[in-house]
Amino acid sequence: MKALAVAGQGLTWAVLATLIGLFGQGPSFSPYDPGQALIKVSMAHLSERLEPCRQLSAAERAELPPTRRVSEVCGRERAPTRFELMLDGELLVADAVDAAGLSDGGRAYYLEYFPVEPGRYTVTIRLADTPRTAGFDLEREMNLNLKAGESALIEIGDDGVSLETEESS
Amino acid sequence: MSSGQVRPRPAWPARALARGESLLSNAFGAATNPFHHLGALAIYCFYIALVTGIYLFVFYSTNLEGAWHSVEAITHEQWVIGGLIRSLHRYSSDAAVLLLALHMLRELVRMRHTGVRWFSWLTGMPLIWIVLIFGISGYWMVWDQLAAWVATASAQLLDWLPIFSDPMGSNFVSNETVSGRLFTLIGFIHLVGLPIVLVLGIWFHLLRVRYPRIHPPSKLMLGSLASLMVLSLIIPVTSHAPADLDAVPGVLAIDWFYLAVFPLQSVTSPGTIWLAGTTGTLLLAALPWILPRRRQPVAEVHLPDCTGCGFCAEDCPYGAIDMVPRTDGRNFELEAKVNASLCVSCGICTGSCPSSSPFRQRAPLTTGIELPHFTMDDFRTELDRARDTGQTGERILVFGCDHGVDVEKTETGTAHSMVLPCVGLLPPAGIDYALRNSGYAGVAIAGCADCDCHHRLGERWTQERIDRERPPGLRKRVPRERLFTYWGKPGQEKALSRRLAGFAAGLDQAATPEAPGSALRRTGT
Repeated sequence: MKALAVAGQGLTWAVLATLIGLFGQGPSFSPYDPGQALIKVSMAHLSERLEPCRQLSAAERAELPPTRRVSEVCGRERAPTRFELMLDGELLVADAVDAAGLSDGGRAYYLEYFPVEPGRYTVTIRLADTPRTAGFDLEREMNLNLKAGESALIEIGDDGVSLETEESS
Repeated sequence: MSSGQVRPRPAWPARALARGESLLSNAFGAATNPFHHLGALAIYCFYIALVTGIYLFVFYSTNLEGAWHSVEAITHEQWVIGGLIRSLHRYSSDAAVLLLALHMLRELVRMRHTGVRWFSWLTGMPLIWIVLIFGISGYWMVWDQLAAWVATASAQLLDWLPIFSDPMGSNFVSNETVSGRLFTLIGFIHLVGLPIVLVLGIWFHLLRVRYPRIHPPSKLMLGSLASLMVLSLIIPVTSHAPADLDAVPGVLAIDWFYLAVFPLQSVTSPGTIWLAGTTGTLLLAALPWILPRRRQPVAEVHLPDCTGCGFCAEDCPYGAIDMVPRTDGRNFELEAKVNASLCVSCGICTGSCPSSSPFRQRAPLTTGIELPHFTMDDFRTELDRARDTGQTGERILVFGCDHGVDVEKTETGTAHSMVLPCVGLLPPAGIDYALRNSGYAGVAIAGCADCDCHHRLGERWTQERIDRERPPGLRKRVPRERLFTYWGKPGQEKALSRRLAGFAAGLDQAATPEAPGSALRRTGT
């Protein structure tokens, strides 16, 4: 009877260890299909203001407290940043990103990962960061050669509008 | 015999669980059944993770360049020790999640999350999140491919919330964007912040639990440690290749105890994860109110019988009794006061009250503290009725409880039963009375299994009172050979019946209780 009890204890601990061993390091998982490449689009872009800055008149300046007599005032709200990304002429993503902040006064942020098949691509990026609603202010085109397991980062910054691509090694 | 009340018997899932646990009781002994110590075992696994984590930190480099290499050095260049410690750190953390899940399920199945126990249930919910975040943050520190994917996926999850204007994920878009200070931050969170939060969380969780068991029996400590060590030696934990954010994450060996959320996020979306996580947590947290149990009346203090001894306050498993300054002018310093919001109506306080003696010549019989739906007067009336109708004699009286073995099923020609809310309600004088005054040949007490009392301490206090290790102790004059205790689970009725038959057979040779004295005749007051 004692041997049976000891065997029962051993079995219990074996079940515990087996469960942990089975699910502690597996089953394996692949976030992306094997052989895929990845395009990362990261944007941190300061778009134009919805209302342009305005020079204050002398009378308006005189009404302000002496320590706050600025020469121009600017609205805080900025235009949404619209952009399109195309691969070989096919639209991959099109979005309009609102500026961050309670008053929509910050940068427009966007970050997305797009798994693609490896190969050569012509990447076209169009971007609009002004209050007007039609057309784009910038269009860039570049060639991309992605191998399986590689990723490319397309960054849209705010020094004017800069586009960078970076191929992984 | 019974009190005539509707008894809260365990539902079928609880009975099924009890049957399964009985197998473990047979192997380990009831007092060291792992399922009776799941919470304490989870805390013990946290201790192992803490100690092994301190060792790992000594050799760990908290910087971008050195993190992965330092973990590799610990794993492969310290002979067996470093790898063993690392594996133990991982597996004990995994075991903690498994044990926590079992602990929660067990309490739910046994309906121990309702009523006044809502506090422990509710404060257990944040612990789930804390433990998961604790584990996930640990995976970042290895900074291998798995860590890079976990970091990216965690950042995506956090970026879904309107917390950061600048996406946290932009820190992980390439190898150049990762800041070396990341490891200072993660190191602080994993090594200092979360351990403190976890300890505070456990403290809150146990705040309303008197005499909590936070250390499992040494047998279980040794067994679990040995099993985790064997696992560590058979399947040592290793890292993936160093993190490379410029590469596409490949096949990753996932720790499903902590990281299951990320594959789920991959096939759904961060919003779905947050929705499922918050809805699931809120639903679990609301269970005590969604599935409430009918509350029994709480214990009441009868000041004329209360001497302010404090035994009830000492014995109450839920801290529901306070000793407060006397209010009735009697020459005692203190009196008991019941906090109705904490009382679970177990009646353990009645069993601890020295005035809970059926021998007292008072009708109706009152005592210092008792349950209005199960008074000492009811208790004595039941025993007297059995005696007056000639049902005692050679028979055994079996005291049972609402949550343990169903003693009514053991009623035979030789045994009577009386079901109490908890066997802890039974005052030692009640055992004496059943033998001396009621004329039962023997008394059996069948409560919940060792370390598994539904009301936490009923079985322990009862045994200690019988052994005269806890006041009020069972009088020496009570022949112990006429007293039998059985601590078991629902479903063990047949085993109890067999043991009762053996007990009854041995009573012929047992000493006869002293003849009843004049105290047996009540004069009334």
